Amino acid sequence: MGKIMAVHSYKGGTGKTLLSINLAAALAKTGKKVCLFDLDFRAPSLATLLKVKNPNCWLNDYLNGSCEIEKALVDISERIGNSGKLCVALANPNTEAIREMSSKDRKWEMRALGRLLALRNLISNTGNFDYLVFDTSPGLQYSSINAIVAADLVVVATTFDRSDMEGTQRMLRELYDLFEKKTYLVLNKVLENPTRHKSDLQATVKDFYQVPLLGVVPCYCDILKAEGSTIFAQDKPDHPFTRMLNALAAEIEKNIA
Amino acid sequence: MASQEILSKKPLHVLEKIKENLEKLNEKMEVMIELQKHGKKDITPPLTDTPLDVMTLLSMPDHLRKTAMTVCRLGRATADEIAQQTHRARAVESAYLNQLVIMGYLKKERKGRKAYFYVERESQG
Ligand SMILES: Nc1ncnc2c1ncn2[C@@H]1O[C@H](COP(=O)(O)OP(=O)(O)OP(=O)(O)O)[C@@H](O)[C@H]1O
Ligand SMILES: [Mg+2]
Repeated sequence: MGKIMAVHSYKGGTGKTLLSINLAAALAKTGKKVCLFDLDFRAPSLATLLKVKNPNCWLNDYLNGSCEIEKALVDISERIGNSGKLCVALANPNTEAIREMSSKDRKWEMRALGRLLALRNLISNTGNFDYLVFDTSPGLQYSSINAIVAADLVVVATTFDRSDMEGTQRMLRELYDLFEKKTYLVLNKVLENPTRHKSDLQATVKDFYQVPLLGVVPCYCDILKAEGSTIFAQDKPDHPFTRMLNALAAEIEKNIA
Repeated sequence: MASQEILSKKPLHVLEKIKENLEKLNEKMEVMIELQKHGKKDITPPLTDTPLDVMTLLSMPDHLRKTAMTVCRLGRATADEIAQQTHRARAVESAYLNQLVIMGYLKKERKGRKAYFYVERESQG
């Protein structure tokens, strides 16, 4: 039986999308069968970043009940050298589609939750996947909360930004806890500071959030240079970011085994 | 012989009916006990048919959220099946489930001796 993880954060731009792509790729490269979902319908980005054009179906269509999930999956295993299986399901980036998704009512959201819950079939014994990774919109968006409820665990991307820290702390108690979700923090975009010890940092973070810290990811200029369109796990296997993500993937596997 | 059979069948039938009614009564009692335990404030009547979506789940008292979430996950379940997931007593789950039915968030359907609870997602395609 596989697992579903939602990658979420309080504020935008904390690195959810970057982490989702590379976490999914890192897991796939260990031979796992992984499917990445773009559930950020407000600002879809996986279609552009992964350069996938015209899938048979968008995730929008699946949630609208107008297509089967299988039709929305695009196999991009060749991007990671076919070491494992990596598929992706995309949010429609067209303006019209974004507008349509932002005007859904509560009944629709309730049915969408039902459809997200049904994705569990993909990781059941007869399903084809070991992991589903949900990339979400930041904050308390309907679609994000749906994704969290449908997931087994939440990977929370956070930074040292004060408002992000406070917001994250509140979400831990008032969102993830209420739904009894296992939560793991990833501290991202951390500036190298030679006077600060890594163990100090870990202790501080654990103390502040009261949940396990999965990893600390430094800020790398190489990432900005790549403009988001690089799967580090494949293109730069020896980059420290790739090694960090391999470690995160291993940590997640260990924790949920 | 034949008349005897009819005779013996009838009281059995009556007993079954009584048992069924007692079970129904019992369920109602459980709800009333729960209502008293948590006070009336938990039981807001359905506001213009609010659906059981994530926002509703968030605003629910903890004990009911756990039950409601489990029904959402299972799709359709008996109090027994819910109790297995939540590790709470069947009678407790039965009470919470019936409470959620009263609140308008769940639907209940009887099939023979079993009662199934489910979220109504009408016009599901
Ligand atoms: N560790 C890092 N080092 C350098 N740049 C980073 C790092 N993590 C993320 N970035 C950059 O920060 C920007 C935002 O990242 P990303 O799009 O992944 O965030 P997000 O949380 O998905 O944003 P949104 O909330 O808008 O969906 C991107 O340009 C990304 O390349
Ligand atoms: Mg993003």
